[in-house]
Amino acid sequence: MRRTLIFILVLALVTTLGGALVQAQDDNALVAGVSDEFAGTELRLIFANHPWNNAIQQLLPQFEAASGITLRVESYFEDQLSQRLQIGLTSGTTQADAFMFRPLQEGKLFASNGWVEDLSEYVTRDAEWNWEDFQTATRSTVTFDDFLYGIPIVTEREMLYYRADIFEENGLEPPATLEELEAIAAQLNNPDEEFYGVVIRGRRSPAVTQFSSFLYSFGGDWIVDGQSGLDSPEALEAYTYYGNLLRNYGPPGTVNMSWPEALAIFQQGKAAMWIDADVFYANVIDSTQSVVADSVGFAPFPEGPAGANQYNVTSWALGMNAGSPNKDAAWEFIKWATSAPVVLELQQRGTPGARQSVWDSPEGLSGFPADYAEVVQLQSARGVGYDRPTVIRVGEARDIVGAPIVTAIEGGDVEAAVREAHEAFNAFLETDG
Amino acid sequence: MAEIIENDQLSRAQAARQTETASQLRTRRTVLAALRYLAILIVVFILVFPFAWMLLSSFKNQIDITTNRNLLQFTPTLQNYHNVFQQQNYLQYLFNSFLVALASTVLSLVLGLPAAYGIARFHANWLGVVLLTARIIPGITFLVPWYIIFGRLGLLGSYWALILSHMLVGLPFIAWVMIPFFESLPHELEESARIDGATHFGAFFRIALPLAVPGIITASIMAFIFSWNNFMFSLVLAGDDTRTLPIAIFNFLSYSSVDWGGLMAAAVVITLPVLVMTLFVQRYIVAGLTAGATKG
Repeated sequence: MRRTLIFILVLALVTTLGGALVQAQDDNALVAGVSDEFAGTELRLIFANHPWNNAIQQLLPQFEAASGITLRVESYFEDQLSQRLQIGLTSGTTQADAFMFRPLQEGKLFASNGWVEDLSEYVTRDAEWNWEDFQTATRSTVTFDDFLYGIPIVTEREMLYYRADIFEENGLEPPATLEELEAIAAQLNNPDEEFYGVVIRGRRSPAVTQFSSFLYSFGGDWIVDGQSGLDSPEALEAYTYYGNLLRNYGPPGTVNMSWPEALAIFQQGKAAMWIDADVFYANVIDSTQSVVADSVGFAPFPEGPAGANQYNVTSWALGMNAGSPNKDAAWEFIKWATSAPVVLELQQRGTPGARQSVWDSPEGLSGFPADYAEVVQLQSARGVGYDRPTVIRVGEARDIVGAPIVTAIEGGDVEAAVREAHEAFNAFLETDG
Repeated sequence: MAEIIENDQLSRAQAARQTETASQLRTRRTVLAALRYLAILIVVFILVFPFAWMLLSSFKNQIDITTNRNLLQFTPTLQNYHNVFQQQNYLQYLFNSFLVALASTVLSLVLGLPAAYGIARFHANWLGVVLLTARIIPGITFLVPWYIIFGRLGLLGSYWALILSHMLVGLPFIAWVMIPFFESLPHELEESARIDGATHFGAFFRIALPLAVPGIITASIMAFIFSWNNFMFSLVLAGDDTRTLPIAIFNFLSYSSVDWGGLMAAAVVITLPVLVMTLFVQRYIVAGLTAGATKG
């Protein structure tokens, strides 16, 4: 009896120790490639309030221990982050060595002002880190005229969220094409019961990014050969389709909706389908926020006449301040934060990254619900690398190309609105940059 | 006889008419009073509703906030307040806001009161105008130069950067409220103090300042609130551990989620101190605001 007890005790001790050892090895794997040649440096980082930030904060102590670099992190909401960065970078002070930013919103502005370091030389330094592993579409988001202005950390794609319970009741499959999408929206739309076929953003500027996949799937594009592409028949068709869909089968007040409003309607169980970025999945399956948490299905963005061309973008990247005195140390950090083991770890904590190898591995998908992971994996391998016009003054451009969306939803003269936007956009492109 | 009766009838009719007009008057007054209260109620409702909504929402979870059911139908939760004080470091932010608002107000008073007195007594109106330009020029103009200057001085992210920048709003305001106040004080008081041997400064400290207390309180409260609510300067100049409440409230917004409940609870925390303070010193504010106006 006593012997058994001792045996069990020893066994327990060994397993605990072994477990701890394995754990330690795992942790070491995260910082295996980190060099300590910059020990003693202090790096200042500015991050956004974002799940990626929350997740990596927990790994930072390991990097600090391995590299000897001290990290000082500040976090802001995205609009404030943008303002702070712009003032800091304009005034030429080195308040931040590296920072999170939105390549599609600020990248071209930062790059053309010389505020961010061109990283194209840095990414070639370490073959093991493997720049080629980053997905093509996401790499194209952060490159402009051979100027590489950031390393992708978070990616997103447009996807379809649907009410699996209601689809099952009606014997429906999620729509594979835009035609089917409209038909299903019509079938399930029931305004008398305050239940709507589909909800998507309709407010002028915020709607632009979600409209983009419709535009590409009809075969249109924002800019063609440096000129506005809005006058193409495909673009007109896309605007018309989007407007009709939301006017006929969407909730009232769609033209005032950005993602918080559209998300809330879907979370409250008032819509059969919601189309938006795939980053929101955590919000719809969280039962403290969503009354439909248990009955959400995920599907790829429906195919249009020109194919399945949903956007697949780098929504956030890490950039380096061109005026930083600690560029090499900053690169050491960026390289670590975007290395395959760290990206895998972060992806397991629910932040979709940009590395193909992580998407290809089963561990890379383990942090997501299985049906969701399947869709994201499919969509991350294809798609268009931008979800808005790639220009310097993005805000202004979004207002111009977003105007016909509102007209279309309100049932106005889409053709005239598109023609007007086309001219305004051409005039804009002449002065932009 | 007939005449008397006639007279009697006449006076009775007159009396009747009089009581009629009196009662008419009374009804009219009642109706007017009712209308007045109705108007007050409407205005109060419009003003109070957002606060009530904020307060209610701060006790709700996300589902109850976004639903379109009855506003009052929910299970109250303290989770939002727990998040505000436990998850987010709101005590620190409260302290930051208090410190910055208090210090910038006190320093503004130290510089602004003598300035206002000097401008009032020596009719240095152009100086007043110079002070005012600081308020006329949009605050954002100062930001980039400040950022550079504070950066060079190594003060970026420090309390000093915040206190000094908030004085840009507080100082001219205090001076401009106090100039008419000092002007309205009778000269004779200070003159007799001067005759009794007081210096200019003595007269200012012992005579003018004590008389101006209601005005000073009004001006300080307003300057305090300006600083308390200031967003732009604090956003750019504050560091991670010196950020003030209006900046910190944005911690409840993130890229793909808005924590409405937390946001509302944080808003309550921001509003409450100022509300309580204002209620306490309300009568000074009213007295102070009208004081300058009645000078003859």
